[in-house]
Amino acid sequence: MSSEIKIDPKIIAEMLKFSKNVTEAPQLVTSPDEIKLGTTPFDVVYEEDKVRLMHYKPMTDKQLHTPLIIAYAIINRYHILDIHPKKSWVKNLLEHGVDVYMIDWGTPSSIDKYLDFDDYVNGYLDNCVEFVKRESNVDKVSLQGYCTGGTMAAIYSSLHPENVKNFIATAPVIDGWKDTTVVSNLVRHIDVDKFVEIVGNMPPEFMYYCFSILKPFEQGIEKYIKFFKNIEDKNFVDNFMRIEKWLSDTPPIPGELFRQWIKDIYQDNLLIQNKMYVGGKHVSLENIKMPLFTQVAVGDHLVSPECSMPLHYSVGSEDKTLKVYPTGHVGMIASSLSQKKILPELCQWLKVHS
Amino acid sequence: MKPESTKNVAEYYRHLSLFWTDLIHLMSSKPQALTSIGPMRNFTENAKKITTELIDGSAVLIEFNNSLTEYYRQLIDTWNESQKKVNFKAPKIPNDPEQYEAYKRVWIDIFDNDFTELFDSKKFGENYGKLVAKELELTKHWNNIMNVMLQSANLPNKQEIDDVYRELHSLRKRISKLESKLRAKNTVKDDVK
Repeated sequence: MSSEIKIDPKIIAEMLKFSKNVTEAPQLVTSPDEIKLGTTPFDVVYEEDKVRLMHYKPMTDKQLHTPLIIAYAIINRYHILDIHPKKSWVKNLLEHGVDVYMIDWGTPSSIDKYLDFDDYVNGYLDNCVEFVKRESNVDKVSLQGYCTGGTMAAIYSSLHPENVKNFIATAPVIDGWKDTTVVSNLVRHIDVDKFVEIVGNMPPEFMYYCFSILKPFEQGIEKYIKFFKNIEDKNFVDNFMRIEKWLSDTPPIPGELFRQWIKDIYQDNLLIQNKMYVGGKHVSLENIKMPLFTQVAVGDHLVSPECSMPLHYSVGSEDKTLKVYPTGHVGMIASSLSQKKILPELCQWLKVHS
Repeated sequence: MKPESTKNVAEYYRHLSLFWTDLIHLMSSKPQALTSIGPMRNFTENAKKITTELIDGSAVLIEFNNSLTEYYRQLIDTWNESQKKVNFKAPKIPNDPEQYEAYKRVWIDIFDNDFTELFDSKKFGENYGKLVAKELELTKHWNNIMNVMLQSANLPNKQEIDDVYRELHSLRKRISKLESKLRAKNTVKDDVK
């Protein structure tokens, strides 16, 4: 018959193999609940409200003089920086002799809806820095901020420059108007006052919606096809499940912080214009005069390079380095590239500056 | 139906409902006083507030539906446009694994590009903003209804709980500042020693 469609038997074989993989997946793969993220040992050395400061156990005999505090983002959780022993940002730093502390912002609840930038930057972050200074007997610390944590670290470095010896900004959100991501387009059109008045804290579901519009077909279909195709590859599956577990767990953002975040950073873009006020104090990026190391990813679809890079050109520092890497937002901190190139370059810089 | 006429219809039903709610309330207030006591009496007295919220909520629901329809229209239009592009670029049905893989790649790339363009557009952003705003207004009407019911049952409503949260936040802040000052004072004392 002329209308007959010829299908290559290889396609049928692939489809049958795919169905078999889907059927066998539950036997081969650990469920997300059973996976433990963050395996590098640490002690919780300081707690305030829901915030915890973690001090990672050293892995070298000698350590750099200046301890490093990592201010993680307010979206998702700190586990991404210790997602897998072979791709752990924290473990790599420890192996290079860095004394690592990290802030876990915890899970805000309704009672925390009035927490704002002032509480986070001049309260929690400052108290963590003061604690580390006392514990390590140093006058200043190195401060790293990732993503939205980079914004908080930038504000802190501007308001408390006397406490920061080195500032490392990893994909920081700085110039909201230059951000070319789809997320910035959404948040620019949101009536954030109404949002906070009625909903209170920003619910995680809103974040999940924002994630869902980032490359929806690659991330929503192709990613899972690849997962089932590679179901017998233990390393692939393990990495996949860890990242999936991390992605699906984001805490709420306190209402007031969310309001200031959207208005001051994305809608009015006050930070880069040196017009932002936090706790009544003027934030000027020109006050950042300590050595600065900025890390940006060209393929970042959450915080575009155009949004992060202006930090490098706006600070008062004379000693400043801008590194641009061929990866994405997560790839920058949890990939083989980060282990082989990004971290060694950062650690070398820290060794020189500590 | 034009928006103006939609408004008129909503106004008409609003008036009608309030008229009967008020009248029934007036007519039944005396017998009610005899039969209903305690919090539930309070609740029946507040029935008018609930009716008002429901009517206002219905008007918002119409606007919400308009934005929601526009939201889905944008998604469907983009989907159709993308599929046309895919058909143009890869007209043949793939019949071996390599062709199938190439077809899938083309499909995903075109769909991701077109949808990213949509999500990045002003028209999507504006409509999404309106959609969220209307959803929030609906939530507010629901909250207001809940507040009436909670008050009737002598329980704290959202506003009162928010006031407590605000007060707690202020207290926590003051304590934290006092602790910092105390720590600084002790550090100076230790240094002197």
